[in-house]
This record gives sequence, structure tokens and C-alpha cells, in this order.
Amino acid sequence: MDFDGAVKLHIYETIAQTTQPPNTHEVAQALKAPLTEVEAAFERLHKKRLLVPEPNDPSRIRMAPPFSGVVTPFRVKMRERLYYANCAWDALGIPAALHHDALVEAYDGHSGEPITLEVTGGQPVAQPCVIHFAVPAARWWEDILYT
Amino acid sequence: MLLFRSEETVTQWCEARGIPVRPIINLSQLWYLAVTWYGNRLTVDSRRPAPDEMVEIFAGIGLEGPFWDPKADQWHSAT
Repeated sequence: MDFDGAVKLHIYETIAQTTQPPNTHEVAQALKAPLTEVEAAFERLHKKRLLVPEPNDPSRIRMAPPFSGVVTPFRVKMRERLYYANCAWDALGIPAALHHDALVEAYDGHSGEPITLEVTGGQPVAQPCVIHFAVPAARWWEDILYT
Repeated sequence: MLLFRSEETVTQWCEARGIPVRPIINLSQLWYLAVTWYGNRLTVDSRRPAPDEMVEIFAGIGLEGPFWDPKADQWHSAT
């Protein structure tokens, strides 16, 4: 496994276990690697769109899709843990990534009505809802925090 | 991308912002995308799908056209 792969796996495994992304200092300590190398790996992983740093603090992770490093309206509960997702897609992406059933608590984007989605037995339980894509694929990463 | 109870609330959300209603997908399609995108995210070899792979994935659930093409030029200058 190359260094970027080790950093990526550590980030995702840490989130899976703790629900929170590690920062560069914590990754460097865990992997016993120089901080500058971890910082460079974070930049490369950002270019590969596997993480998004905090806009004003590149040592911290805002997104490691499907996970969010901050509180969002997309709450994903599983194994007595609470994860936050970046969007509707990522809300189902968390049970897909962790291969575990989950309860997703979200809201209607217009009315604010609570919408609960359930993934059971590896499938979402049918529910009256739709997902709207406001931004075309070619522009998703122009402002990924909005998308 | 946001979740809505119905197409009606999508329309209301778009009207409130003065933007056109764009593609709408259902829960089964969303689950397909979630599994395809993230099913192996916690493995060594995981990566984001490349643009051509994305087009193929979207087409697999009936999502075709420039809106779903990450290389489509027309969207870089239009909203």
C-alpha cells in the first residue's frame, strides 16, 4: 500500500470507528509519519476528490465523502453511532460504505418536514420521496460544499 | 442534492429560488448510486469513478445526457 492509500484508509477507518475525521496531526501521529508528508497526502487526496479540507484550515477535514466532518441536516444512525452525511446521496452512501443497516434522518428540502429513510437487509425501505439534482455533474466540484 | 417528500415540493423549492427544476431521481436510483460510489470506499484500492465511468454508471439507471456528463462543456458557462 502506498502512503496516500495508508492515509486515506486511516481517515476512513477513523471516521467509521469514531464518526469524526482525524486532522493531519493525528494522522501523522498514528502513522508515525512526518507532518509535512501527511499534509502533502491530504492535498493529493483532495485533488483525487477523496476529501475536502476545511476552507480556512487545511489540517482539518470538512468532507471525506460520504462522511461530513461537521453537523449537517443528514443524520445517519447505525451501531449506536451518529454520522453526518453531506447530502442525500451521501446519506445512503454511509450505510453503503460501512455495509450496515442504518436509519437516516433528514428533511424535505423545501418544507422542512422530517423524512426518515431506513436501510434494512442491504436495501432501502420504500418511502415516498424524491431526490433533486440542482447542479449538473460538470459543476459538482466547482462548489462542492453547495452541491 | 436534496431530499424532498414529492416532486411538488421540489417545484416549490425551485420556484422560491427562481431556478429551473432539474433531474429528479427515486430512492432505488439513489441507492444504486450510493452503493456504486461508496461500496468499496473503506478499501485500499477505492477511488472516485473516472468521468467516463461516471457516465456509464448514470446511464445504467437511465440518467443520460449532458447534465450527467462531468465533461460536458455547456454547463461550465451556463447555470
